[in-house]
Amino acid sequence: MAENEQNFIPVENVVSFLSNTLPFNRLSPDELHRLAKKCVIDFFPKGTMIFNQGLTTVNFLYLIQKGGVKSYLKNEQGELTLNDYRGEGEYFGALPIIQETKANLNVETVEDSFCFLIGKKDFQALLAQNAEVSQYFLRTMSAKLVKGVYAELRQHKIAPRTDGALYLFSAPVEEIAKGKLYTAPTNATVKDVAQIMSENFIGSLLLKDETDTIVGIITDKDLRTKVVAKGLDFATLASEIMASPVQTISSQAMAFDALLKMMKEKVHHLAIEKNGQILKMITTHDIMVEQGTSPLYLFREIVAQRRIEDLYPLAQKVPFVIRTLIEEGAKANNITRMITVLNDHILDRLLSLMVKEMGEPPLPFCWLSMGSEGRREQTFKTDQDNAILYQDSENPKVMALAEDYFKAFARTAIDHLVQCGYPLCPGEIMATNPKWRQPLSTWEHYFKRWCGVPEPQEILHSTIFFDFRPGFGNSSLAERLRQLLTGIAQQEDIFLLHLARNCLSSKPPLSFFKNFIVEKNGEHKNTFDLKRKAMVFFVDFARLMALKHGVNETNTLDRLRILSEGQYLPQGMYAEIIEAYEFLMQLRLVHQLQMLEDGKQPDNYINPGDLSDLERQTLKEAFAVINRLQDSIRMTFQIRE
Amino acid sequence: MQITHLFQKITRPLRPPAHPLIIHNNNLFPPGAKYPQLLSEQEFVVLDTELTGFNRKQDEIVAIGAVRIKNLQILCGETFYALIRPDERFHTKSTLVHRLTPQELRCASPMADVLPRFLHFCGDAFLVGHYVRLDLDFINRATKKLLGGVLQTPYFDTMCLAMAHKNYKNDHASDIINRHDAYTLTALSAEFGLPSFMEHNALQDSMQTAYLFLYLIKKMSQQGLQTMQEYLVAGRNRSMIWWPY
Repeated sequence: MAENEQNFIPVENVVSFLSNTLPFNRLSPDELHRLAKKCVIDFFPKGTMIFNQGLTTVNFLYLIQKGGVKSYLKNEQGELTLNDYRGEGEYFGALPIIQETKANLNVETVEDSFCFLIGKKDFQALLAQNAEVSQYFLRTMSAKLVKGVYAELRQHKIAPRTDGALYLFSAPVEEIAKGKLYTAPTNATVKDVAQIMSENFIGSLLLKDETDTIVGIITDKDLRTKVVAKGLDFATLASEIMASPVQTISSQAMAFDALLKMMKEKVHHLAIEKNGQILKMITTHDIMVEQGTSPLYLFREIVAQRRIEDLYPLAQKVPFVIRTLIEEGAKANNITRMITVLNDHILDRLLSLMVKEMGEPPLPFCWLSMGSEGRREQTFKTDQDNAILYQDSENPKVMALAEDYFKAFARTAIDHLVQCGYPLCPGEIMATNPKWRQPLSTWEHYFKRWCGVPEPQEILHSTIFFDFRPGFGNSSLAERLRQLLTGIAQQEDIFLLHLARNCLSSKPPLSFFKNFIVEKNGEHKNTFDLKRKAMVFFVDFARLMALKHGVNETNTLDRLRILSEGQYLPQGMYAEIIEAYEFLMQLRLVHQLQMLEDGKQPDNYINPGDLSDLERQTLKEAFAVINRLQDSIRMTFQIRE
Repeated sequence: MQITHLFQKITRPLRPPAHPLIIHNNNLFPPGAKYPQLLSEQEFVVLDTELTGFNRKQDEIVAIGAVRIKNLQILCGETFYALIRPDERFHTKSTLVHRLTPQELRCASPMADVLPRFLHFCGDAFLVGHYVRLDLDFINRATKKLLGGVLQTPYFDTMCLAMAHKNYKNDHASDIINRHDAYTLTALSAEFGLPSFMEHNALQDSMQTAYLFLYLIKKMSQQGLQTMQEYLVAGRNRSMIWWPY
């Protein structure tokens, strides 16, 4: 056929776009083709409000072909919080369609944008027909947005609430359903049923007929609404109030399939079926517990361990939490904090178990975490940076005992930490190094020397120590050291000047013509070191300003926040810094995650060619922030280069 | 040569009676009609043709591509594409441009079959094209010969709209008049940062034009244009265009 009235060559463009876009790349060519034919293309000039939170009825799923949007939330006070930027190949509008609600966010184009629109009905049909697609959308959905029947579920959440609290939907239902199977005959009375349920602390009971076939279910709610509220006799037969048939789910289904089915059927219980047999029940509660599988689950497990060796596999699990967190849309800052908290728990558990084994130390001590650990900015495996600080004693015998004890303690601890997957510090900044295993008086002396002696080299090597925080043991020792440091650093202008100069040493890799400067050859050709060329600056800058203004915090974002609250940073500058630094953190985290999943050792080398236009633009803006801050440092410290 | 020319003139068939599609079209769009409706309420068909050359007397259409716009959105599932067997010029210089081989064209349907289908596809929609008067000249020559009349459909020229848009933005500092390639579909698409399609395929080009059209009308609506009439005026006032081929 040389001609064909319904020849879909332009749709091929849509097809090729879809086939390069998650999760549509999973569709068969046929499915892709059908979907492509249903797409419409729309154009939204920069600054168009596509969604108005709570107002817009969402009729389409939007896939960005070209351009970009930002999404933000407005709270009751009318304050705006930026949620996300989405660029080419990304989508928006899925959640309101799945939940059948109005737009959950404001979405506004930040560039002239062309979008492919998939109609609500077509998208819903796709979700219903294609398990891979529906799984993808459910997984990527942030749990805090899941509404309706699951509001209840969220109230049950005992977890320490962090923004990144997340849910993992990848375990088979069979694994996560905790309870045994309880049944009663259909001719049991309502009273019998209630009794069995309360004796076994269960919220639902299955009913069997004479042939041992499960025919119905009674839940707490049935007892409340169908019996008590209606004033039925407690001798009423179970078969009269049971719901029948029982909603089932295959034992092979994933937890999120179960959740989806529960949401759709508006039930809280599903019977797990395998080869026609009901195995047990899965409830919303089971899923809730499972949702903790990421950080929450790890917390509980870590704290519950009684043997040091059992901590090893748990510690190895920590980096995997990152993936889930990223998928759930958590910000890098929350992720690094979460990782730090988990690592802190492991350290705490490990050292407490060691103290139990070795007996109490001769003198109170504090295990210091330093570097990124000290700043609570850990991502994937970061090198160990630690030290021991202990109390002074007048008694030389006690001091000698302490020295021996901490020497052995440090050696064992470092060994265990290596087993947990924390690599040794190549610079030997570890408690096993006698230099960094000292009484308070020696540490005080160290810091006085670093701050007082205008020897730039030494200062630079010691910046890592300025970010110490207590990791285990007697934290008041660390606090005393911190007080001392805060006191002296502010006085030492020359020391601060050296730190300031140090801040100026990293130049953002942007040419005069605003192009990225990348390595010309070698192993890291066409990339630049995001950490060394950009992120380090923010860390150094926050440290410098914190020391100058007597801020005790070690975390970079906390330092900046306190500085801004204390009016040491202008509000506009603060906002820019935070935005830039958070973006860099996120970029690095995603990059490292990708490397890890490709089986490579995570590094910090970013190829600008791999980034979307929007990411590149944002990166350039972040670099521009560095340039402006460096200018302001030059002014403040009167540095001429 | 002159004799054959003369011979052709004599033997040229008489104009056939007007086809129902043409009558419908002419009734729908009477001369001098005004169009106060909003642009968003109007359906459009964006079209592009491939020609054997630019001689309006001798050259012919060898391909028509078109896409539909409704609610100011491009409908990916409603496209039209047809190759057309020319009466004589199978191989011309243009073959190198549109890459339709003489072989392909010999297998294609004749214009007499394609044209009614195309007019049917166009329906009551307004027409849009890039320098669309050229396409329409060729199409109307065919309708006159085969369907006994010409289309009266109002049309938008994306080239004129682009000029109006840029003029409004006062944006031709780098003086486009001197740059003879500044108003081609490709150049404008690049300038406005539109996704780009394969060039010189009637359907791809019509898709590209549809993107350009959406871009322009939405940008111009930010400049305050609303009704069809306003856009028609904006597009027409700059009809003294210099043809960029």
